[in-house]
This record gives sequence, structure tokens and C-alpha cells, in this order.
Amino acid sequence: MTMNYKKITWLCLIVAMIMAMTACAKGPSDSESASSAKNDKDITIAVNQNFTTLDPQNVSDTLSISATHAMYEGLVGFDKNMTIKPVLATDYKVSKDGLVYTFNLRKNVKFHDGATFDANAVKANFDRIQGSKGSLTASHYLKNLKDIKVIDDNTVQFTLTKPFSAMLNKFAMIPMISPKAIKKYGKNIGLHPVGTGPFEFVKWNQGESLILKKNPDYWDSNYPKVNKVTFKSVPENGSRVAMLKTGEADFVYPLPEQNVKSLKSSSDISIDQTESTIVRYVSINTNKKPFNNKKVRLAMNYALNKDTYIKVVKNGFGSKLDSTMSPKTQFYSKQGVYEYNLDKAKKLMKEAGYPNGFSAEIWGDTASDTMKGMQFVQQQLAKIGIKLKVKAMEQGTLSNEIYSPKTPDQAKVQLWYVSWSPSSGDADGATRSLFSSESFPPNGANTAYYKNNEVDSLIKKANKSTDPDEQAKIYKQIQKDIYSDAPWIFLGVDTILSGHRNNLKGVYVLPDGSINIKNAQLK
Amino acid sequence: MAEIVTKTDYMPKSRGKLRSFCAAFIHKKTAVASFFFFCLLIILALIGPSIVPYNPQTPDYNHVLQGPSWLHLAGTDEYGRDVFSRLIVGTRLSLGVGISSVLLGAVAGTILGLISGYFGKWVDKTIMRICDVFFAFPDILLAIGIIAILGPGLQNVVIAVAIFNIPSFARVVRGKTLEVKEMLFIEATRSIGATKSRIIFKHVFPETFSTIIVYLTMNLGTAILAAASLSFLGLGASPSSSDWGAMLSMSRDYMGTAFHLVFFPGLIIFLTVLSLNIMGDGLRDVLDPKSKD
Repeated sequence: MTMNYKKITWLCLIVAMIMAMTACAKGPSDSESASSAKNDKDITIAVNQNFTTLDPQNVSDTLSISATHAMYEGLVGFDKNMTIKPVLATDYKVSKDGLVYTFNLRKNVKFHDGATFDANAVKANFDRIQGSKGSLTASHYLKNLKDIKVIDDNTVQFTLTKPFSAMLNKFAMIPMISPKAIKKYGKNIGLHPVGTGPFEFVKWNQGESLILKKNPDYWDSNYPKVNKVTFKSVPENGSRVAMLKTGEADFVYPLPEQNVKSLKSSSDISIDQTESTIVRYVSINTNKKPFNNKKVRLAMNYALNKDTYIKVVKNGFGSKLDSTMSPKTQFYSKQGVYEYNLDKAKKLMKEAGYPNGFSAEIWGDTASDTMKGMQFVQQQLAKIGIKLKVKAMEQGTLSNEIYSPKTPDQAKVQLWYVSWSPSSGDADGATRSLFSSESFPPNGANTAYYKNNEVDSLIKKANKSTDPDEQAKIYKQIQKDIYSDAPWIFLGVDTILSGHRNNLKGVYVLPDGSINIKNAQLK
Repeated sequence: MAEIVTKTDYMPKSRGKLRSFCAAFIHKKTAVASFFFFCLLIILALIGPSIVPYNPQTPDYNHVLQGPSWLHLAGTDEYGRDVFSRLIVGTRLSLGVGISSVLLGAVAGTILGLISGYFGKWVDKTIMRICDVFFAFPDILLAIGIIAILGPGLQNVVIAVAIFNIPSFARVVRGKTLEVKEMLFIEATRSIGATKSRIIFKHVFPETFSTIIVYLTMNLGTAILAAASLSFLGLGASPSSSDWGAMLSMSRDYMGTAFHLVFFPGLIIFLTVLSLNIMGDGLRDVLDPKSKD
């Protein structure tokens, strides 16, 4: 047994020595480049999570969307500012009543397996989604689709059952898979991606890396400009930064906020900031006591200093959330912030009947950023007497706890520190599933159990409207109603931080947090 | 068979024992130094919260992540809290968890060991086989398993660490009991009709006491380390508390930018465990020289 203690003692000693050494060895090694081992036209991108699937019509996480967007394209797509532009369609027409969408398709486009892209290929894709009976995530976008007609080889026409204002955004979220591959691989298409995009699939080592190569027959002959792209999953913040410093990775996302300062001094590395559609908030279960009292919710909003939140938790990167959605989201309307006012918060608590506060739990995942945020909220709310217990749960357990209750009364969640970003970039994606009473878990993400009949009917009205001005007006009212009801503690809007080596150009992160590599180019 | 004589005049000899122990222990210089360090930690654990320069829970958002200075001896953390004060206040948590878990494990393990060693036969076999099963698991893995069942929290960390301490105490005490049981004075006590429980607790137990003390000190180090590891993994103390392991866990993201956040909690854990091990080694040399490998 004594050997054991000796070993432990030695281990402690060695760990302490290593710690002391790393502390001393800061600085000079930053600028060394080790990219010599790689081919000149290959790039490596380090990301913080694993890809979950490569089936473009069944992805639900933003990172997997990054990968599928490199291999697949939809009829329309998003540009850098999340505005819609034609991709596999050359142009499109929407009828006045908002029911008929006609797309003229791009000619001479081939899938990676040689199949031709035409109207029948489009139909095969939409048939696949509708035939899935809701099991593919893309089928949620097509709830209002009545039928799809092949007019000629290069023209397709979609008819909706009722107008749906965000339909074009949803089309952008539906990439086209080779009909030949759909037949060949069936359900396993997620492991054998075949699209029309600038990059072809090579290999996916699940949990480790994803390798793509150049599509030589890409329809836009100016692209792609690199031969090979490797995505690597590196969850540890420090390792990702180290890879960027040594040149092992050419692009990293996300870049930890606390490393920005030290990386800025490096001459080989540039840091990009993108305003995002990612909003951070604490959802308050408005169905539970004492949170059903609006004054309590307002008090919580006033008690939280948002400037300090951005400064401490986000290291200065981000902005205050002044509506239910980010300024980058469609139909955003500024509401003004619940500015930090402790006296007002205390007064509201008193009026609500809780002059001495109460105890509650705040939930979140185990990511270090979330833990930091939750503790900050804990510290701030302690000032008005609310004693929070921070409960960090592993992602799987957490979503099970939140989404499994069948009725609002079974829900145990009180406060949830979380973020949301609408990948389709439209106001509907940032509103309906968060605030409509139809979206109570398990049907959606309305974890505040927010129910406001006026908001419900306004959301329906906005979906039916075909006039952008009218929609803007409706969404303005929706945001105003929700913001004044305070079903959330409104915290901030993320600034997306990514880092790249200076010889790499053209890779960027979209406001929703997905990476675009189409324009990647090495100098 | 000096033992028999010892037992005949219990009190005076015992005082002599303590004196001879002190005389021997004083020569172990490092062990004595470790002993004083440990005493200092105990004092800090007792009076720490009232002597700290800053409130360990009060954030100061204008001074976040500052390096060590005269104002903040160990720097400030990501919320601007004084790391030095947090470490001092955390002593109570970390030592408390370590001591209470080892004590719990020692009490349960000693009782099992005494029973197992004294009664022998199937009782001994059953208890020792169960201990073997527990020995088959790596300590931390076993603790994680127990916490997975009980749920995270400091209280459950104490239970988990106590449970993985039981078998090692049981085995050591059993060995000593087997040895003592065969001695003449036990034979004599038995022959004058003393009850079994009297023999076990009044006569066998005191003989195993020095072994237990040595073992306790040594296991204390591992227990503190284990409790810190569990808190580091997010299974123990709440991340906002000033537990050493939890402090390390929250600061690992700043390893490259603010080394003091990892360094000082790491250092104090290291020093505590090291001092306990050295102290344990010294105690063993004096009290229980036979058990040295």
C-alpha cells in the first residue's frame, strides 16, 4: 500500500512542476509555424463539438449544418448577412396570394455521383421529406406544402395550403440530395453524403474528424479554391487555441473570449467578430409560483446588470438583448432594456409579496460558459433576496428533464440558462417555437410556458400575411407584448468569435453560428 | 510477551507510551513540520471565515482575473473574488469532507475488521470477499458510480469516499485482530468469562488503535484528493462554493491566461496531501514499524 502513497506524492509533485513551467512559458512560442507537414492547398478547421449527422434534411444542430452546407446546396441559400439569394435556382417567383412558389432551376449542375440536377431531382427530394411522416427535421418546414409540380426539366412549382411568410427561409434549409444516392443508401444517406456543393465527401471518423475534398465539376468554376478540408472536433478550449497558434488548424470556431487578447498580438493570426442571431436568456417558468407573478419577473430583470454580464461572463464580447430576438434576425424591433435598477427591483419584490425573496433552482448544461453565466445570475439575484441553487446537468439529462414532461404542471424546470438562434434567420423561427402556447414542451421550446392569447393570434396572423410591411408591424407588436410580459431574464446577444491563420481567406461564420467554407482560399 | 505486563497496569504504561511516542516522533523532522502544517490547516478551518481579508463570495466586477499582488495575495477570479480568501474559507469544506469521510469509513471498517478477525470462519470469509469485490474497482470509479446512484452533492461525496475507505480499514484491522487474538492476555480474559463484545472492544480494539491512527492519517490525504477530484468533475461541491476542487474546475479554462487561478488551488491541495502523507509515514515508523513494506 505504501507504494501507492509514494506514487501519489510523486504525481502531485510532477503536476505542480508542470503547472509552474506552463506558467513561466507564456509568450514567445506563439509565432512558430508548423504547417509544413500539410499540403499547400489543404485546410484544417477545428470546432468544439462532434457532428451528429450528415443527412442535410435531418440536421438539427448548427455545427452539422456547417458540414452539410459544404457538400449540399438548396434551391436558395443565405449570404453573409443571412439574406436569401438564389443558389440551385436561378430565380424564383412568388404569387400575389403567397400560395404558389415557382423556381427556375440552374442548368448543367451535376451531383457528386454524376446524377443530373433537374426538376425531377427536386421532386424526389421533397417526396423523401414528405414521405418521412415527420421523422426528418426538414418535414417541419413543409407543414403547409400541398403539392409540388414538375413543369419542365428546369422549372418546379410548389403550392401551399395557406400562406406561410417564412417559406423562402425554409426552402433555404432544405438542401438537395442526389436522387440516385437516396435510392442507393436509403436511411444511411447521413453516412454517405452526395450533393451538388463545392466539396465532396471523403471520410467521416465519428467523434474525431470529417474529411472533404474539392468537387472538380462544381457549377461555378471559380470555386472551390482549396483541395481538401478537414474538420476536427476539439472540445477543449485550450487545445483549439494551441492548434491555431502552431498552425495545426487554419481556422478555429468558437474562439474562447479570454484568449482574444493574447492572440491579437500574434502576427500570424486574425480574429473575426460576427454579430450573431444567438440570444442568451434565462427562461422563467411562468406557470410556477412565484414566477407567475409578473412583478417578480420584472424584478429579476431589473436586478440583473447587463453591462456587467457582458463584461464578466462574455469578456466584453456581445451586446445587451433588447428584444426577444437579435438585431440580425428578420423583423427585429428594439424594445429598450430593463436597465439595472436595484431599488426598483426591490420595490417590485415587495409589491409582489416577497420582500425577503425566495429560493429557486437554475438549470443549465455543464459547458464552462454556462456555469459561469449561471453563477453570475446567482450572484446578481442574491441582491434582491432570491437564493438560487445552480444545477448543472449533462446535456442529455438536461433535455430529458426539460422536454419530457407531458403537461405544463408536470414540468419541474424553474429557471433555465440557455441560448437560441433561428438557423433559418426568420422571425417565425425566433418566435413561434419559443412563445406560442402550441410550443409547450414536448412540442417546442416554450420552456417559459408563456401563454398570451394575443401573441398566439398575432403569430398566426403573421404566418398568413404575405406583405412584409404588415409582417414587420405584427412582429413589432409581438415583440413589444412579450418583452413587457418578461417571460425571460433578457441577457445578451452573442458576438461570434473565430480565429484564422493569416494565409487563409474566405472562411467565415454566419450569424447563426454555422461555418461557411465555400470561398476558402490559401495565399 | 511484554504485552501482558502492559495490560496489568494499564494507566501508567499508557502515559509512558505517549511520552515515548512523542520522543520518537520528534526526531522525524519532516513529519513534525507536516504535523504543524496540518495543525495550521485545522486552525484555518476553524477560524478561517473570520480572519479572511475579503468576503469570499462577494464579487468585484471591476477587478476580474487580476494576478497576485499585495492587495490580493493569490489574485482574483473570474468574478473578481479574492482567491486567497476563498482558499482559506475552502479549507473548512475540503478538510471537513476529507476528515468526515475517512472517519466514517474508519469506524465502519474497524467494526467490520474486528468482527471479521475475531470470529473467523464464514463471517470472516463473507466480509473479506465483499471487501475484495470493492477492492476490484478503482477508487475514483467506485466513488463516481456511487454518486451516480445517490446524485451529486457534498454530502454524497462524503458517503462515496467513506464507502471506498471501508474495505481497506476492514482488512488492516482484521490483520491486526488476528494477531492480537492469539495473545495470552486475550486468552486469559476469555477464560475468566468476559463477553465477546467486551473482549473485542475493550481489549482487542485498543491494540489495533495505533494501526488505525496511522492508516487514518494516510487515507486522509487520498480522501481529500478524491473529494477534490469529484468536485472537479462537477459531482461534489456546487461550482459557486469555495471548495478547492470546485475552484480548480471553474478555472481550468483560464490556464493559458490567468495561471494563478489554477496554480494556487492546485498548490494547496498538493501541500495538504503531501503533508498528510509525510505525517502518516512518520507516524507509521513510530507506532507501527512492522507494517512498513
